[in-house]
Amino acid sequence: MLDKNITEIKESFYTDIKSVSSIKDIEEIRLKYFSRNGLVSQLFEDLKDVVKEEKPILGKKLNLLRNEVSSYFEEVKERISSTQSNKENEIDLTLPGKNYIVGSKHILTQTLDEIKSIFKGLGFSVANGPELESDYYNFESLNFPADHPARDMQDTFFVSKDFLLRTHTTPVQIRLMEKQAPPVRAIMPGRVYRNEAVSARSYCMFHQVDGIYVDTDVTFAELKGTLVSFAKQFYGSDLKYRFRPSFFPFTEPSAEMDITCYLCHGKGCKICKNSGWLEILGCGMVDPNVFKFVNYDSEKYTGYAFGMGIERIALLKYGITDIRIFFDNDLRFLKQF
Amino acid sequence: MKIALSWIKEFVDLNGISTDEIVSQLTMSGLEVEDVVDQSNLYKNFIVGFVKETQKHPNADKLTICKVFDGKDDLQVICGASNVSAGQKIVFAPIGTEIPNGNFVIKKAKIRGVESNGMICAEDELLLSDDHSGIMVLDEKLEAGKSITEALNLNDVILEIAITPNRPDALSHIGVARDLAALFDRDLIIPEIKLSESSEDVNKLASVIIEDEVNCPRYIAKVVKDVKIKESPKWLKDRLEKIGLRPRNNIVDITNLVLHECGQPLHAFDLDKLSDHKIVVKSTKSETSFTSLDSKERKLPLNTLMICDASREVAIAGVMGGENSEITETTKNILIESAYFHPSSIRKTSKTLGLSTDASYRFERGTDPNITKYAAERCAQLVADLADGKIANGIIDVYPKVINPKEIELRFSRTTKILGYDVASEKIKNILSRLGLAIKVLDEDKLLVSVPTFRPDIEREIDLIEEIARINGYDNIPTVSKINITLEKKTDETEVDEKIRQAATSLGFFEMINNPLQSEKEVKISGSPVKLANPLSADMEYLRSTLISGALITVSKNLRQGVKDIKLFEIGDVFNKTNEGEIKSFDDFTEDQNLLFIISGKEQDKGWNTEVIDSDFYLLKGLVDSFLAKVSLDNVLNDSYYAAANEIYAYYLTKNSNGVELGKGGKIKSDVLKQFDINQDVYCFEFNFTHLKNVKAKNNGYVDPLKYPKIIRDFAFVLDKSVKYLDVKEFIKKKSSNLLKEVSVFDIFENETLGENKKSIAFTLEFYDKDRTLTEDEVEKDFNNLISLITKEFNAQLRGK
Ligand SMILES: [Zn+2]
Repeated sequence: MLDKNITEIKESFYTDIKSVSSIKDIEEIRLKYFSRNGLVSQLFEDLKDVVKEEKPILGKKLNLLRNEVSSYFEEVKERISSTQSNKENEIDLTLPGKNYIVGSKHILTQTLDEIKSIFKGLGFSVANGPELESDYYNFESLNFPADHPARDMQDTFFVSKDFLLRTHTTPVQIRLMEKQAPPVRAIMPGRVYRNEAVSARSYCMFHQVDGIYVDTDVTFAELKGTLVSFAKQFYGSDLKYRFRPSFFPFTEPSAEMDITCYLCHGKGCKICKNSGWLEILGCGMVDPNVFKFVNYDSEKYTGYAFGMGIERIALLKYGITDIRIFFDNDLRFLKQF
Repeated sequence: MKIALSWIKEFVDLNGISTDEIVSQLTMSGLEVEDVVDQSNLYKNFIVGFVKETQKHPNADKLTICKVFDGKDDLQVICGASNVSAGQKIVFAPIGTEIPNGNFVIKKAKIRGVESNGMICAEDELLLSDDHSGIMVLDEKLEAGKSITEALNLNDVILEIAITPNRPDALSHIGVARDLAALFDRDLIIPEIKLSESSEDVNKLASVIIEDEVNCPRYIAKVVKDVKIKESPKWLKDRLEKIGLRPRNNIVDITNLVLHECGQPLHAFDLDKLSDHKIVVKSTKSETSFTSLDSKERKLPLNTLMICDASREVAIAGVMGGENSEITETTKNILIESAYFHPSSIRKTSKTLGLSTDASYRFERGTDPNITKYAAERCAQLVADLADGKIANGIIDVYPKVINPKEIELRFSRTTKILGYDVASEKIKNILSRLGLAIKVLDEDKLLVSVPTFRPDIEREIDLIEEIARINGYDNIPTVSKINITLEKKTDETEVDEKIRQAATSLGFFEMINNPLQSEKEVKISGSPVKLANPLSADMEYLRSTLISGALITVSKNLRQGVKDIKLFEIGDVFNKTNEGEIKSFDDFTEDQNLLFIISGKEQDKGWNTEVIDSDFYLLKGLVDSFLAKVSLDNVLNDSYYAAANEIYAYYLTKNSNGVELGKGGKIKSDVLKQFDINQDVYCFEFNFTHLKNVKAKNNGYVDPLKYPKIIRDFAFVLDKSVKYLDVKEFIKKKSSNLLKEVSVFDIFENETLGENKKSIAFTLEFYDKDRTLTEDEVEKDFNNLISLITKEFNAQLRGK
């Protein structure tokens, strides 16, 4: 009878202790098994009534049981109480942590960072130039003759007859080539201005990244390769693209690069004006007239150039519908990035 | 520009080619198709309806209840137009029709309680024009129930094409047809003109003199007599309406037709209104007033190219005719002008007058001097046919210096060098020929290409290479998968900016980007800002001379949005004039990159275990110093302190290097804040970042962590309120032994027990030596010595002890 009880109590102890998770549970087990009237103490009481011959064997068995379960109990008790402090100074772990403000770069800076890092990986340097430019750098040296309709493509803010707010970052190409002989491989990020009415779709200033590569054997095929590599790194490797002829005074031949609209996947939607394509950048082979202005031999050297708008890229990427939000600097907007 | 496919097909056979293919090939060759209107699809549900009866709507004055016969049934339809009446044939949209303007579908509806089963349409609803003055009333002979695509001949495909400024040749149907001929390798067909002229010599009827040969290299006049001004025939009106032009009378319509057919702008004068029947082309010698045919009086500046008769101006050359010589209903004899004007002359006129017309748009881009005769004859013949006129014999053609096709050499090898792949020479020859260029083989590698005058954009070999590339297709140019990268050093001029941004954001600042274009009031808070010559509006009339104005605009905007806790930075360019005069060179202004920090409100809100941290001068100072430490510029710059206000700050400090001020900041003055509508304290610091970048950062190398213990001592003194912390600190450092390494303040307070105009400052002193453990004695000696020196120097009293 007692023999059977020993086995049963042992089993029930192990079942009970398995589900222990708090100090309270531990206390319940102590009371149930190890208190004065607990099950284990009860077994020793029962031993008194056992016949004399069985006493030594059962006594030994009982001692073994007590040692085994009580040492296991202590072990579990230790584990539980080390993870949970005792009742008097119990910590409320659910309270919020201390608030630390970590600032952030403007979303346009972050977008530019991403573009820069891709082109730096492709061997490009990064160059700067002034925003208040001369007509010579912004237009003339880039093959926009005075009184030419090509100038209508870029509505300009003038500060005087010959000085203006640059309408593109392309003048930095000229400044760079004036300073160094080929090879030249660089991108030129910066702020540009257009004299256009402010609306959800256009702002009087925005940001661009221009790029140029001039060397002895630069071809249109390499232009395509480089820009496709950029687009795949930036937009995803499964992207579809196309290059379509266009016109810029400083490149010949000129192209615009489109990628499949990521919203409708080419089926046509409002964002892509039902064409299924999104224009992401303009590019082309550097016009020999531009080389003339910087005294490069256009028979020996060829080059490509490209340019893209950063706002447009960020608008598309984050699904922002109003360009003005970039320059409102509402902290509730800035803190999201 | 709108192009009708049916019209294009008169000049190139496009049989077997789908609209989709045409659209895609045009776009992929540089004539970007922005919109396609397929009329037979767009108008498939619209039919001719017959208004049998009308009656007033019982519940609405402006509505009419019509009984419309749709060829089968009589339907009740409500119409809101005032011109609807019984007996009309109209355009009827049955239930289920999608209306092109607005993309809605006609449903059975009750309008003010009366059922309506369809809609009677106005022109604008069909996108045929902007006209919404009333419903379209059709020819009464049309059969009710017939589809309007058939009845009104609305079964064309209209393409909206964006033409880049380098392609004036493509601003006509023949021009676009020529590209299509090259793209699909088909023949371009230009119909021959069969002129039937009278025996009367044109030279007896009119004369032409060009006085300004530079701006008018060619002027052709053709005379047609006894014309009858009337409405154009239906085919002509249809054709013009399809491309968005409003028909006027037969003569004006014919000139428009020829313009859109071959790209040559024409003008028809009433010959009898030209004094002496004479045309003189000359530029104005003084400012002149002139009434153009839109009845507007215009001020013409000096040197505006004009068409005159024997006594007065009769047209603004290349832009618009004059009211005084306009064709009217009573006109009998006309003189047709077909001229070539110099592009920049017309552009100048159009720009100064702010007047752009179909004619000026083409002239300023460059028309073909050698199509003028074809255009004049085509026009004359149409006038003879459609206005019953008699064409005078011969042509007046003043063309002092003939403009000939250009000849350019093209190397196949150069084509390969630019494009990066070989285009077969036969292919090249075919493309150029299809584009209307004449070729002659010079040798294995070389062609001599003769470029007709209709392609002013093709001037050099590279321009020919572009033609080859775009007609052969950019898709055919390979996309390389390998590039060469040279091993020389790459530079990044924006690298420092990035370090600065990292430092600023790690201190909890958010980056803002403000518009540098601001109002006079905003920018005038400091500096000599640059004014724009042609601002967009008064609130963006100036370029900022400091980042502070933009930052205050942003703070103000945020406050209005209920965002009161501000911690922002900006890196951006600021502009200052260096002298009063007009900007003529880069010496007349400076463009500096500045860096600004601005704080306001609470840096940290009260939380369950955090205390509020309010923005104040010391928070600003601490942030700026931490920032400088982050970019290794701590202890490189010297501070100067100004307790008195300047134009922006109530009090401020500056950061200087070798006597040059690199940055300034403090508490913004309240009158400046008021100007920006800000009602809480704002602290701001601005660096000239261009100059800051040039300061050499410190580089102390590595310092071993201290191996021996520090001995720390505190003392506090009661001092006069006017004594500055920094002065005491400097004094301690100067007078102590070299065992004292650090001095810092840990408490400051004032109260009555200290006495009037007194304060207490408590200092912590740290003594150590990197090579040994100090003894208490030697520190004690130094410490006691300092106490007596301070007491004497500052009339101070040691506290506590
Ligand atoms: Zn789409």
